[in-house]
Amino acid sequence: MKHYEVEILDAKTREKLCFLDKVEPQATIAEIKNLFTKTHPQWYPARQSLRLDPKGRSLKDEDILQSLPVGTTATFYFRDLGAQISWVTVFLTEYAGPLLIYLLFYFRVPFLYGPRYDFTASRHAVVHLACACHSFHYIKRLLETLFVHRFSHGTMPLRNIFKNCTYYWGFAAWMAYYINHPLYTPPAYGDEQVKLALAVFLFCQLGNFSIHVALRNLRPAGSKTRKIPYPTRNPFTWLFLLVSCPNYTYEVGSWIGFTIMTQCLPVALFSLVGFVQMAIWAQGKHRSYLREFRDYPPLRSPIVPFLL
Amino acid sequence: MAAAAGGGSRADNGYGGQQPRRRKGPGALATAYLVVYNVVMTAGWLVIAVGLVRAYLAKGSYHSLYYSIEKPLKFFQTGALLEILHCAFGIVPSSVVLTAFQVMSRVFLTWAVTHSVKEVQTEDSVLLFVVAWTITEIIRYSFYTFSLLNHLPYLIKWARYTLFIILYPMGVSGELLTIYAALPFVRQSGLYSISLPNKYNFSFDYYTFLILVMISYIPLFPQLYFHMLRQRRKVLSHTEEHKKSE
Repeated sequence: MKHYEVEILDAKTREKLCFLDKVEPQATIAEIKNLFTKTHPQWYPARQSLRLDPKGRSLKDEDILQSLPVGTTATFYFRDLGAQISWVTVFLTEYAGPLLIYLLFYFRVPFLYGPRYDFTASRHAVVHLACACHSFHYIKRLLETLFVHRFSHGTMPLRNIFKNCTYYWGFAAWMAYYINHPLYTPPAYGDEQVKLALAVFLFCQLGNFSIHVALRNLRPAGSKTRKIPYPTRNPFTWLFLLVSCPNYTYEVGSWIGFTIMTQCLPVALFSLVGFVQMAIWAQGKHRSYLREFRDYPPLRSPIVPFLL
Repeated sequence: MAAAAGGGSRADNGYGGQQPRRRKGPGALATAYLVVYNVVMTAGWLVIAVGLVRAYLAKGSYHSLYYSIEKPLKFFQTGALLEILHCAFGIVPSSVVLTAFQVMSRVFLTWAVTHSVKEVQTEDSVLLFVVAWTITEIIRYSFYTFSLLNHLPYLIKWARYTLFIILYPMGVSGELLTIYAALPFVRQSGLYSISLPNKYNFSFDYYTFLILVMISYIPLFPQLYFHMLRQRRKVLSHTEEHKKSE
């Protein structure tokens, strides 16, 4: 069997970083990354980006050496992706924050409102309901992170945790401050508004969860395969007929429900910002589905049926 | 390159043909529009410059000159919002976010501070930033005009990348002093502020907001200033090399 030789050069300086000889033709990029780490232990595999062209895109861990357009001496270019942190760690941190922060405001812990309000409770039923909904939402997210989601990439750049936590924790504090404020004004249309909002919220929470489960079931444990998601017997998943990312659609719906429930402008702004971000992600996901699958259902739009 | 073992739908498995992407310049129509835009803006800020000089000569002092150029200042500074669209449509190769940020901060000072808080309009700090902006913009827009016509005099390039050294701190000082002067009047009148309780369950204190804006200058100004200094070294040294090789 013919063995390959692999040389790894720095993408920016073209300096020769590593030379591997007698590499199996069936070796994967993941295995090559592991070999590279042996000579440069500070660059663990998660922070390595190997490419065929210094300005090209990263090779995937599953790619096999002999199926790449290289000769028997393969040249890879290396870029350091920077310190990495696991997705699970980021998700748990960014979701635990809002859960706790909201409760601090709900219980009116000292220094948040005036001293005469410390540890008092709101007299509005909707405020208690809102706390239950907000807490439920983030507990659900934490549990999904631990037990439901299957991540295609293990890690993301370390600086993302600061960015993401600022966003989630900051908005949570801002919303919680007003909803739990002693001068909070309950919704203008009273109980009817709250009941409608609760129905929308719960419907969308169930919908979002259903999609997460459906996506998990698309992919066996430990694999990174990508398949087109389709509606299942669960009616909540029938939204797949119309959109590529119904999980995002339901998520926006949940927050719209929460906005109506609390009638709070900061919540509306949080929903809007979240919608914009998720719409961008959905467009990207939709485009990559279209690129990867010839037979992708043409009726689907990224996040809003028929519109966006 | 030899084709892959079975299964690949593309002979190069998607890795071939990675040319470096070449930036397309604006088309002929876009270039014509941009030339007109930049000429109009250059003219507009020249009007402001002339207005300032004439008012100074007529009044004999440099106090309260704001009123003589208030309308063209508002018109042409607000018009700069178009530049955000230029970036968004790709006819100008700058970052939308960066441009939006710079234009919005100017528009904020023009409308949300100077126009809104009438008491600061007689402050000398207003003249400080108006003069800085005027000189900067005349040079900047003529720089763009000449660049688009591929005929950039070295003097304009030099001016654009050198005068900022004085004008930038001057403008920032004027802006900060003006915001500072506005504070007591904002506090007194409750301008742009809303307090609880209200049906939107929202509150906003413009006074605190202005203080936060002032604080934000501390991290932002040095970054932008040193960025311009780095640009200066890059741009002006290239021209030196070109001159030497002729």
